[in-house]
Amino acid sequence: MHIPDGFLNAKAAAATGVLATAGLGMALRHVRRTLPARRVPLIGLASAFVFAAQMLNFPVAGGTSGHLIGAVLATVLLGPSAAVLVLSSVLILQCFLFADGGVTALGANIFNMAIVAPGVGYGVYILVRRMAGEGLRGLLFATAFAAWCSTVAASIACAGQLALSGTVAWGVAFPAMANIHMLIGVGEALITTLVVAALYRARPELLPDRLPSRPQPRYGELAAYGLLVAIGLAVFVAPFACGWPDGLEKVAVALGFESRAAMKPLVPSPLPDYAVPGVNSAVLSTVLAGCMGTLAAFASAYLLARFLTPHKTPPNGLEPGGNSLRA
Amino acid sequence: MRAGVEDVTALEVKHLSYRYPDGTEALRDVSFTVAEGEKVGLIGPNGAGKSTLFLHLNGLLPEHAAASPVIHIFGIPVAEPHLPAIRAQVGLLFQDPDDQLFCPTVGEDVAFGPQQLGLGGAELIARVARTLEQVGLRGFEQRPPFHLSRGEKRRVCLAGLLACEARILILDEPTSDLDPRGRRELKALLRDLPVTQLVATHDLELVVEVCPRVIVLDRGAIVAEGGTADILSDESKMVQHGLEKPHILRHTHPH
Amino acid sequence: MGAVLFAVSTVLLPRSAWAGYIAGGVVLILIAGLSRIPPLYLAKRLLSLEPFVLGVALLSLFQANGLGVFLAMLVKSTLCLFCMVVLSGTTTMSELLAVLTRLRVPGLLVTTLALTYRYLFLLVDEMERMRRARRSRTFIRRRFHAWRSLATIIAQLLVRTSERAERVYAAMCARGWKT
Repeated sequence: MHIPDGFLNAKAAAATGVLATAGLGMALRHVRRTLPARRVPLIGLASAFVFAAQMLNFPVAGGTSGHLIGAVLATVLLGPSAAVLVLSSVLILQCFLFADGGVTALGANIFNMAIVAPGVGYGVYILVRRMAGEGLRGLLFATAFAAWCSTVAASIACAGQLALSGTVAWGVAFPAMANIHMLIGVGEALITTLVVAALYRARPELLPDRLPSRPQPRYGELAAYGLLVAIGLAVFVAPFACGWPDGLEKVAVALGFESRAAMKPLVPSPLPDYAVPGVNSAVLSTVLAGCMGTLAAFASAYLLARFLTPHKTPPNGLEPGGNSLRA
Repeated sequence: MRAGVEDVTALEVKHLSYRYPDGTEALRDVSFTVAEGEKVGLIGPNGAGKSTLFLHLNGLLPEHAAASPVIHIFGIPVAEPHLPAIRAQVGLLFQDPDDQLFCPTVGEDVAFGPQQLGLGGAELIARVARTLEQVGLRGFEQRPPFHLSRGEKRRVCLAGLLACEARILILDEPTSDLDPRGRRELKALLRDLPVTQLVATHDLELVVEVCPRVIVLDRGAIVAEGGTADILSDESKMVQHGLEKPHILRHTHPH
Repeated sequence: MGAVLFAVSTVLLPRSAWAGYIAGGVVLILIAGLSRIPPLYLAKRLLSLEPFVLGVALLSLFQANGLGVFLAMLVKSTLCLFCMVVLSGTTTMSELLAVLTRLRVPGLLVTTLALTYRYLFLLVDEMERMRRARRSRTFIRRRFHAWRSLATIIAQLLVRTSERAERVYAAMCARGWKT
C-alpha cells in the first residue's frame, strides 16, 4: 500500500504530512517518557524485523499476492506508540533507501500504515479483549480481528486520499481498495495470529500480557491516536461518505470537462459511461459487502482462535485464574 | 611473573557467586586476580559460566546490585555509581561481533565509545584512524558492517575497545568462527597488544601462544589455575573437565 | 547533496505543466550522469512496477479526464522515482542520518533508523536461511502448513531479534552508552 510520488496532490500531501508528523511526534514523546532504556535497541531491531517481515508475500486470490503490514503484530508486542515508531521507521527507510513509496507521499503512507493501522488495530484489540476475556483464546481472537480491521482501515484512508487528490474517483477507489484489502486482511490476520500463537507457546514472556506486571490498556494513547484517525477520516473519507461533496463532484466534473476540451481528444476515457460518483451502486455494494465482511471476519477470528487453542491445559500451567496448588 | 615494580592488580574477583533467575547456579565462589599487563586464559567446557562471569566484570550482571561489591577493577569496585568509569576501563569483546557492531558504519562504531566519553572533532577522527590501523583495518571507516568478514568484524569491535583506551580487555571466544588466517592474525594481534587481557576460549592453541597463565572453569567453579604449559599438559585433568591436551603441546620440542 | 535532491523532488510534485516535466527530466538525467550510477540499474529500478501502483494507475483511468490524470501521474511518479533512485544511489545512510540530525529530528528516531538499517540486512539474511532450511525439509505441500511454517519462521525471527536486542543493549552499555 505504498503510495508513490505523483499520486497525491499537494493538498492531500500536506494534510497527511501534518497528521503524520503529529502522530509520530506524539509517539516519540510517549516512548521517550515511558520506555525503559533497556528496550530502546529493541525498537530499532523490531523495525528491522518488520521490514524483513514485510518482504514476505503470501498468496491472496487468483495470482495476486499480499504483503504483511505488521502493525498489529508490533502493537500487540510493543504497545501502540512504539508500534507507530517502528512502522514509521520502516516506511522512512523504505522511502529513502529503496525508493519504495514517494517522498511527498511519505506523510500519507505513514498516516495510513503507521498511525491508522496500529491505532485502529489497538482500539479493536482492546475492545475484543475486554469482551473475550483473558486467556489464549481471547488474545488470539482479538489479535486476528484487530489485524483484519487495521488493514481494511488503512486501505480506506488510502482510498480517501487518492480520491481527494483526484487520482482515482472515490466510487472506484473505495470499492477496489476496500474489497482487495478485505482479502489481504485475512492473510494479515492469519499470519499475525499464528505468530502470536507460536510465541505464546515458545516464549510467552515476550507477550506483554504474560508479564507479571501486565500493563493496563493505555486509554490515553488510544484516545490520542483515535483522534488523529478520526480527523483523517473526516478529511479523507467523510467528504465522499456523506452527501456534501456532491458540490465538490460537480466542480470536478466541470473542471474535467473543461480540461478535456482543452486536451486533444485522442483517446476517450476508457469507460465514458461511468458516471462520476457521489453515492453510486459500486460504493453502496462495497459498504454492504464491508459490513458482511466485517461480521465474517469477526466470526472467522473467533473460529481461528478456537482452532488454535489447545483443549487441554498447557503443561506449564499458565492458565490464568487457575490455582495449581492442591491441598 | 614480572619482576621489579610492584604489580598493580588490574582485576580482582572475590568469592563471586551467581544464580540465574530460574535458579540454576552459574558461578560458585569464584576468586582470582589478574595483574596489570598479564594475559590470562580462561578455559572450560561449554556452559561453565565464562560468559556469565564476563557480564559481571563490567556491571551488566547482576541485575540487582549485590550488597557488597566483590569485583574490583584497578581498585574501583564494580558497582554503582562507578559503572561509567568501570566501563571506560573495561573493554568487553562479545562473542558475536554482530551484537557489538551496531552502528551503520565501521567508523561510527569505533567512534561510539570515545564519543560517549566526551571526545569529538578532529581528535576523535584521528583516534578512530589510529585504532583501525592498529588492528590492521586502515581506511575501513566508511564500510558498512554487513559486508565484512567475521574476522574483520571482530577486529572492528576490538578497535572500538582500544579507542576507549581500555586498560583491561576481556575477550569472549575471540577466535571462534574464524578461518585459519583470521585466527592467525587475531592471535598475533593479541600477542602484540601490551594491554592486560583475560581471554575466554576453546581455542587451546590460542591460550598456549598468548597467555602465560590459565584458569580452568567448570560448572561455575575454578578447578585449576597456574602456568599454561603445566595445566594444559596434565592430560587427565584436561579430559576430566571437558577439554583436552592441545596438539601444540603434544609435539613440543624443548626450546 | 542529499538535502538538495530531497527538496527538488518535493517541488517536482505539484505541477501539471508539461514544460516543467521536460525540464525536470533533463536535470535529473544530467545529475544521474554525474553520479556514476550504472544506467542499467537505473532503468531496472524505474521500470519495476508494484502491482498496487499499477492497479491504482489503471483505476485512475475510470473517471472524467482519466487519461490526462493517468499520464500526468505516470510522468510525475517516474520523475520522482528517478530522483529518489539517484538519491539512494549516491547518498550513504550516514549522510542521511547526519542530515536528519541537522534538521533537528529527535534522537530516538535517528537512533532507531540507524539500528534498523544496520540490522535490516542481517535479519533478511537470517530469514532467507530459515526459509531455505524449511524448504529443504518440506515434503507435504498443504496450504495451511505453508502458512503455519511461514508464521513459525516469523516467530523464530522475532525471538532471535528480541534476544539480539538484549545483547545489543548490553554492548551499548558496555561502551558507556548514555541514554
